[in-house]
Amino acid sequence: MTEENTNFVCISCPMGCPLVLVTEDGEIKEVSGQQCNRGAKYAKQEYSDPKRTFSTIITIEGALYNKLPVKLTAPVPKDRIFDACKEIHKMKAVAPVKVGHVFIEGLLGLDGVNVVACRSMKKV
Amino acid sequence: MYDVAIIGGGVVGCAIARELSKYQLSTVLIEKEAEVGFGTTKTNSGIIHAGHHSSLESLKGQLVVKGNEMFDELQKELGFGFRRCGEIVVARDEEDLKTLDELKELGEKKGVKGLELWDTDRLRREEPNLSISLTGALYAPTAGVINPYEFAFSLIECAQNNGIELLVENPVQSITSTDDGLVISTSQKKIKASFVLNCAGVFADDMAGLLGLSDFTIHPRKGEEYMLDKGLEGIVKHLIFPVPKGVSKGTLIIPTYDGTIMVGPTADEVEDKYNVSTTEEGAKKVFDFVSSMCPSIHPRSTIAEFAGLRAASNTGDFIIGTTDVNGFINVAGIQSPGLTASPAIALYVLNILGKQGLELIQKDEWDPYVTPPPRFAQLSPEERSQCCKENKDFGNVVCRCELVTEAEIQTAISHGARTLDGVKFRTRAGMGRCQGGFCSSRIMEALAEDQGKEFYEITKRGKASWIVCPEGKED
Amino acid sequence: MLGRMNKSYDCVIIGGGPAGMAAAMGAMDTGVSDILVVERDPEPGGILRQCIHSGFGLHYFKEELTGPEYAERFLEKMIDNDVDVVSNSYVSGISIDSDGSKQVRILHPKAGLSSIRCKSVVLAMGCRERTRGAIRIPGSRPAGVLSAGLAQKFVNMNGYLPGKKIAILGSGDIGLIMARRLVLEGCEVVGVFEMMPYSNGLTRNVVQCLDDFNIPLHLSTTVARVHGRDRVSHITVAPVDEKFNIIKEKAWDVDCDTLLLSVGLIPENELSEKIGVALDVITSGPRVSSSMETTMSGVFACGNVLHVHDLVDFVTEEALSAGRYAGEYARGTRRPADSIELVPGQNVRYCVPHTLSPEREHTVYMRATQRMQPCLLRVGNLLEKKLRFVVPAEMINLKIKPDLLDKFRGEHLTIDLIPLDDDKKMEA
Repeated sequence: MTEENTNFVCISCPMGCPLVLVTEDGEIKEVSGQQCNRGAKYAKQEYSDPKRTFSTIITIEGALYNKLPVKLTAPVPKDRIFDACKEIHKMKAVAPVKVGHVFIEGLLGLDGVNVVACRSMKKV
Repeated sequence: MYDVAIIGGGVVGCAIARELSKYQLSTVLIEKEAEVGFGTTKTNSGIIHAGHHSSLESLKGQLVVKGNEMFDELQKELGFGFRRCGEIVVARDEEDLKTLDELKELGEKKGVKGLELWDTDRLRREEPNLSISLTGALYAPTAGVINPYEFAFSLIECAQNNGIELLVENPVQSITSTDDGLVISTSQKKIKASFVLNCAGVFADDMAGLLGLSDFTIHPRKGEEYMLDKGLEGIVKHLIFPVPKGVSKGTLIIPTYDGTIMVGPTADEVEDKYNVSTTEEGAKKVFDFVSSMCPSIHPRSTIAEFAGLRAASNTGDFIIGTTDVNGFINVAGIQSPGLTASPAIALYVLNILGKQGLELIQKDEWDPYVTPPPRFAQLSPEERSQCCKENKDFGNVVCRCELVTEAEIQTAISHGARTLDGVKFRTRAGMGRCQGGFCSSRIMEALAEDQGKEFYEITKRGKASWIVCPEGKED
Repeated sequence: MLGRMNKSYDCVIIGGGPAGMAAAMGAMDTGVSDILVVERDPEPGGILRQCIHSGFGLHYFKEELTGPEYAERFLEKMIDNDVDVVSNSYVSGISIDSDGSKQVRILHPKAGLSSIRCKSVVLAMGCRERTRGAIRIPGSRPAGVLSAGLAQKFVNMNGYLPGKKIAILGSGDIGLIMARRLVLEGCEVVGVFEMMPYSNGLTRNVVQCLDDFNIPLHLSTTVARVHGRDRVSHITVAPVDEKFNIIKEKAWDVDCDTLLLSVGLIPENELSEKIGVALDVITSGPRVSSSMETTMSGVFACGNVLHVHDLVDFVTEEALSAGRYAGEYARGTRRPADSIELVPGQNVRYCVPHTLSPEREHTVYMRATQRMQPCLLRVGNLLEKKLRFVVPAEMINLKIKPDLLDKFRGEHLTIDLIPLDDDKKMEA
């Protein structure tokens, strides 16, 4: 039986509690260091399946600016962030665009992870 | 083939260019940077000296007073900002007071007008913010301040309006002497001229060296300057000099033409002709000294700092004259009071050219005037209203800190600005409190549009000073 | 309506960022209908337009939005409610007529110099970034040294990178956010250097922007020198001692072509100073009463111009309030001077507003001078509240109700933040 300790800093609230996650043969045994129950949840998620969400920009034609900001509607696995970016950067938009417009549904084949416009941009 | 080729577009080269443009000659000015004045000139303190500091025997001393006297006329013709704010050399002890007497005598001998010794009462009345430990001062009313780059821009604009050709981004790589003239090779072209004027500032010895001449050397001496916050504007009314000690004029308090107080410069010999860095030691020297003269000045008030290189020659004086190579004339070692002397230097050089056989026939029509660019920030509400009616672009503010409008940006571009700094030095956009944080992207757009270039091709000041790069699609 | 500008209004709001837009909403709530928002950029939205990351609206909308989404919600409200908004327009001055009405001088790309008459004004000009010159980094002056905000604009709006190999000075949120942005756009971020012994930004950002991408965070370190002739070639960094002096002997060089500065925000009060409102030297913003009114009658202030915020949700709250008071003023309401001066006490850097009145509810915003975990927030002898965790980087807001101040008879009310030992458990 191999017991392992992994350290995290919880990001659920501004406190930033230092957490220690104890695993035995890869199985989560306990979490310590949290001052509320969101900490335990965060540590477990971070350990087993860390996910991230982010925003980026895609090229847009015919608008006031060259770039349109877009975001993910749900997080992707942390180790696929760059793949996600690469896919998104292939998109090109044309003004006009409405906020919330879905450019990609199911990014990287992931259910519920859509890429949407963060703002409207008029045609100039 | 040109009659005259000027190497170097600093204030000296530009002043000579304007002078030459009066005559029926074909003249070209060759500048290695992206714009004129981008070498030492733009870092110059901007002081028009009264002239009492330089010794009579030197060429400096002979040309400085004459140069000073020419500035009123030049200002009327070229429209650059010029204010005869006067200068005071302050004494810190008894010995200093003796030196003041000597300076006054020297100055009067050279024809410097209006020199006056002040006692502590007068000094305190005139400059209440200076240290009460000062023991007296020598007042020179003819000293003044300009923006040296503004002066250079107006000189070259006048010269170009009158037919002078300007080549920028053309560093000189070789000069050869032939039977019928000198051939200059730059990175872009070959130029042949009967006369070549070496106005290359810090690089003047390198230029002379291209012809195998080694009569003099340039030892760059770096000066750091510190610009202070607007809140200190008006803290002194005159240029404040300490009693001179040694080779440099000392660390000064300068009420620049635009009102910003500047302190410095330092004086440090450097090896590298591209070393224009400011240093912690330099800052300390400047502020320790300046705060002893004016206690309210504190390093915390700095908003910007920069450094420049003086083209100090091994002789310590100007080196202006013919050489062993026919047609090659040095106008080298022009350090302080070079800016003040520059118009007089131009006349001096013309004289040499004449004696060397260059036919100087005045043009029938020569326009001495340049319309200064509009300064929206300095206009009254009525004038501003009028400007907006005539040109809608005055209603579009680009630089909020200095209140510079789109119209002025466009004027700067149409008058030669090709870089972000070029626009900055012509309009003041980017010189304010946010230091270009808000206006840079708009100015770059305007420059890109004018030059038919991409946004990322616009540079800070030419060559490799790129500002942004395109997103690398290299996956 | 976008683009329309009449000759007179009830309220003129200077700045169309989140503060200005919320102030317009607040003014509308009072029944005032003639409102003009003057925006200097090509479109309203302020800095939110370039803050494309999430984290906005958690309090106000109960949703996590990106900056542009947050801005657009307010823009829609303004359009729906027929608020006039002019862009590319700049307020060059404000004067007061003998009858108290204000003349706002506006430079407008079509109308030129116009003088707009109004009853009340809201200052919402936001802030600017501290520059290299202000923090005095010696060295050469190559291209490639710029503020994080300008870099953010270049990347997110113009679509260009500030460089390829980036060093960042300052670990506040802007620096951290930009570190991540640049990595996602293909740059190499060589490190974030922070002069303080701790990061000024949210821990969440340190984790998601630096740790995630293995970007080293060097605390108690600053940039000692910039090198490079035309473009940055490298920087010299060095650790600092407790007095923040550079320890030269331990300096080392960092290869990079860009240095981003995220070293502080300064409220933009040039106009405020010009018209003569009194400023608080600590906040660098105007002194305001409990109705968000400056020392000039009918001139109100809110948002980053008043004091630098960290959450746009609080900017919105503050601005709604200022807008309401500005609207009421335009409708003729005049208030007696506040009777209570609010005094920043122990470990409190500043409090806004500067004065209170027993007649209304307030939200007081304040910042601590140091980290305290936990601490006691004490308002005179009227109120005590335990706070689990307090850092200077996170503004504290406290609602003070009229019934609390009713009992108060003094002229000065001091707010203290007192650090507590961990084992002293206080009743919340």
